[in-house]
Amino acid sequence: MFSPASLKGDSPTPIDERIRNKYIVIYFTIIILSFIPCSLFEYLYFVFFWKEGLYWMFFLFFPFNILALIYILQFSAIFFSVLFLTIIKMIHPPREGTFKRDIKDKDYFYWNLRNIAKKWPLFVNASNPFPWFKNRFTLRFLGTKIGKKVICDNTWISSEFVKIGKNVILGMGSTILTFGIEQERFILKRIVIGNGVIIGAHCSLMHGTIMKEGAKLSAHSYTNPNQVLEKDSIYIGHPAKLKRDI
Amino acid sequence: MEKNYESKFKVEFLSTSGVYKTPFTVIILFQFFIGGIILVLINLWFSNHLYFLLTGNQFFLMEPRGEWYEWLLLPMSLYANILLFAFSIILFSAGIFKVLNWLHPPQEGVFKKGSKDWKYMHRRFWTAYFPIWLARAIPLPWADIVVFRFFGIRIGKNVVIYEGYIDPEFIEIGDFTMTSLHICIFSHLIYQDKVLIKKVSIGTNCIIGPQTIISPGTIMQDGAILGANSYTWVCQELKSELIHVGTPVDKTFPIQSLEESQLKAEKIKKSKVFDGQHSKINIEKGGENK
Repeated sequence: MFSPASLKGDSPTPIDERIRNKYIVIYFTIIILSFIPCSLFEYLYFVFFWKEGLYWMFFLFFPFNILALIYILQFSAIFFSVLFLTIIKMIHPPREGTFKRDIKDKDYFYWNLRNIAKKWPLFVNASNPFPWFKNRFTLRFLGTKIGKKVICDNTWISSEFVKIGKNVILGMGSTILTFGIEQERFILKRIVIGNGVIIGAHCSLMHGTIMKEGAKLSAHSYTNPNQVLEKDSIYIGHPAKLKRDI
Repeated sequence: MEKNYESKFKVEFLSTSGVYKTPFTVIILFQFFIGGIILVLINLWFSNHLYFLLTGNQFFLMEPRGEWYEWLLLPMSLYANILLFAFSIILFSAGIFKVLNWLHPPQEGVFKKGSKDWKYMHRRFWTAYFPIWLARAIPLPWADIVVFRFFGIRIGKNVVIYEGYIDPEFIEIGDFTMTSLHICIFSHLIYQDKVLIKKVSIGTNCIIGPQTIISPGTIMQDGAILGANSYTWVCQELKSELIHVGTPVDKTFPIQSLEESQLKAEKIKKSKVFDGQHSKINIEKGGENK
């Protein structure tokens, strides 16, 4: 909850350099488009306050103007990236499976494009003072399902193929990865976290992990790919092994 | 009696410290509001003075009137506004924190979800959240240490805690202690619909490695070192002048002087194990033996 701004950062999802160099135009257009509402707001502010007898109001509200600017930027970044995402998803709907790590492979290519579209809102919204803004608010728009009464403010969560139930506690600095890179293969697989699951600090869940209702993962441990953690049981270690039933 | 007290804190697994969203979370908006009002008042005063210098008139009659040197403050105004906003909120919420502590003094122990201690824990955390966030967003590296001291953590001289998570209460850190990147120091632990609170005390001259977790009840004696990527169990004691490693901590190594470790390194270099050609053969042989 109190982790410094330098550690919050943006998404560590790697984007293939061959794709990033060609399609960086999308990234820049999203940034420029999200600044348009800001400049509109700024124009209105100038028109309204820069008059004779109102100069003092102009200076008075200037700090609040900047604060409002940041919030408008954050909301518009979500709006425009969702707009681009829906277009990309219409061209090629996202699906799970193992693919070749090659530009000609359609799934791998569009996965990278989706990450380019998501990069800017995730980067901007990480610097919001409200702790729930990045994960609980922004990620819901980008395609993760997060239930009610969840503590997940300091975890890094992949922005697609994740389903988190109710009353879940995710630990400080743990990561949930739905993608895996194994030499020439690229794997996308769904992670399902059931109701009432507790995950400790500094954990990492690999792609395809299924945590059933009430499963518990102790701090500083990781799961193997496609591991299933059984109902109401405790897991601990590297990789996680069953400790005992409650 | 002592045995019962010890067994109360026995846990099967380590989770994290964290807080739910409660109605009291609205306090962030309240803190925002207080900081904003102070900003408005100071800016009103400042813009009034500048207007007087420009035109000779005032919006509000104020004494003393603006002087020429106040123009020098204009380029600083944005940055000064940020600092003013942050420090007014920090001071204000430290006051709220003291009032909360007076209403219900914080205790160690195990508390059920929904009990009075649980509620007040959430209230204290949410009051501490925004000022600490602000202190870490300001480019003054000592700001967060000052804020932690406001919220009742004892921190000594020359302590390094910049890049990590630290709970805002029940923590004691001695002089000259260094902590590394991405650490977690928990004095609270969520445990099956309960919250476990125990004091963490870290002595002087300690070193805490990167990616470590210090769980509640840990006692680090003076000069103890916690190695990278390891974590301590609840109520564990790390003895002084030793290096502690393990998940959870189970191995200890003596601290060597620089000359000793250099001598050892030279010996290892001279031996055949680390020689480029021989090492390959050794590895292959090891594989065969298995």
